Amino acid sequence: MKRIGIIIALLFAVQLPAAAQDWDPGGALKKLSAKASKAIDVTLDQSMLQFAGAFLDSKDPDQVQAKKIISNMKGIYVHSFEFEKAGEYSEDDLTPLRAPLKEPVWSRIVNVRSKHDGQNVEVYFKKEDGKFTGLVVIATEPTELTFVDIIGPINPEDFKRLGGQFGIPKVEIDQDPPGKKGETK
Amino acid sequence: MNRLEDELKRALERVQPPAGFAERVLARARAEAEKPARSRRWLGLFGLGLAGAGSLRWAAACALCVVLAASGVIYERDMQRRRGEEAKDQVMLALRITGSKLQIAEQSLKELDSTSQPQQ
Amino acid sequence: MTTAAAAPATHKLDFEDLVREHQRMVFSIGYHFLHNAAAAEEVAQDVFLELFKRLGTLESPEHVTHWLRRVACHRSIDYARRNKGAAAEVSWDQLPEPAQPARHSDLGNSDPMMSKHLQQMVAALPQKMRMVVILRYQEEAGLEEIANTMGIPLNTVKSTLHRAHAMLRAKMEQTIGKEWGEVNA
Repeated sequence: MKRIGIIIALLFAVQLPAAAQDWDPGGALKKLSAKASKAIDVTLDQSMLQFAGAFLDSKDPDQVQAKKIISNMKGIYVHSFEFEKAGEYSEDDLTPLRAPLKEPVWSRIVNVRSKHDGQNVEVYFKKEDGKFTGLVVIATEPTELTFVDIIGPINPEDFKRLGGQFGIPKVEIDQDPPGKKGETK
Repeated sequence: MNRLEDELKRALERVQPPAGFAERVLARARAEAEKPARSRRWLGLFGLGLAGAGSLRWAAACALCVVLAASGVIYERDMQRRRGEEAKDQVMLALRITGSKLQIAEQSLKELDSTSQPQQ
Repeated sequence: MTTAAAAPATHKLDFEDLVREHQRMVFSIGYHFLHNAAAAEEVAQDVFLELFKRLGTLESPEHVTHWLRRVACHRSIDYARRNKGAAAEVSWDQLPEPAQPARHSDLGNSDPMMSKHLQQMVAALPQKMRMVVILRYQEEAGLEEIANTMGIPLNTVKSTLHRAHAMLRAKMEQTIGKEWGEVNA
């Protein structure tokens, strides 16, 4: 989380031109859903987020953090698909999802691939008028694909703390030397 | 089989439930089995059980209407609360999924760093 | 106690016998998942009540075992999602004693505190991963059986288990020391 935080902090220093968010990957996700053996869809627009926020428990630290994260958000859309076997979806299926995520509006800050089990995680941030207004995560493995689309405004500091909360064990990271971290493969 | 797996087997051995667990389950099952009989007795009070007590029957019917109306309000409130809880669960699920994927990215970066050559 | 009146006369499955035979399994799935004895009892009672209602539809003792395991899994996960605070730590005084002596007591170096530590770590894993680990090591279920019980693809079970090992090992190295990772086949 610290490493992603450093990258995000450096991006803050760069002014990017504003661009309207006119992207709807619904077609690609429908196709993936048709191929999947199991799918999780979470669709929460601004009104649902505000409604849910009223039910978050102020005594539970995780829910307090969640309330803070979603407080100004305009939407959270999570689509997670499981497939019977490897090869049931391809890179071509992912192309429409990635197509709109282009510079200068979007920046891909992380692209990592794990050798052990073929996992790949891409993290994109959108910046408008000096503020982060979008987060997309595309996580793939041979039999699973997850697409997260969060419409901001977003405070990257809040997302830094996601590891170690909500039942996710925190992995301690060694202190990184200062400097920009580019993409890694 | 390695040490971690041995220790996991030990740590996750089945445990005995608290004393009296089976008895509590059996008691609940008995209560469940008796439910239809009790409902029939209550229905009898509003039907065949009040022969000759016309005004009493009307009062019982009115009371039932009030109860049903109140139940409607309570039901709506319950539904609202349930919808809210479901929305809350969806938020937490979404954040968990997002967090776990970001965690994988961080973990992979860490693995990458641990195998790369140190820079001079 | 005999089965519900609706059961066929030839049904040989006796409810009370089934409760006494399977209470440890059902309770333990809930306990290791939720890490809370009261919550585990609530889930286990609900599971057995469901069994009571459906006993007439189950065909054999083996069917009952698989059914109970599957329902216990899903009810535990549902409970955790509905009651975020249920996955709380159990104090030393409340921890139930194991029903039998440890099967690996010949491991001279093993420390009882390690089991407690591992239980807490398992309870902190993401839900799906946690349940896979519990089915694998508590129930000693095969990978296909885990896939059937949880209703997820076999490859997902494999990759989830692999990730769980990596996470737990990393955490153990952090908290116990580097020698943890060296004692390995």
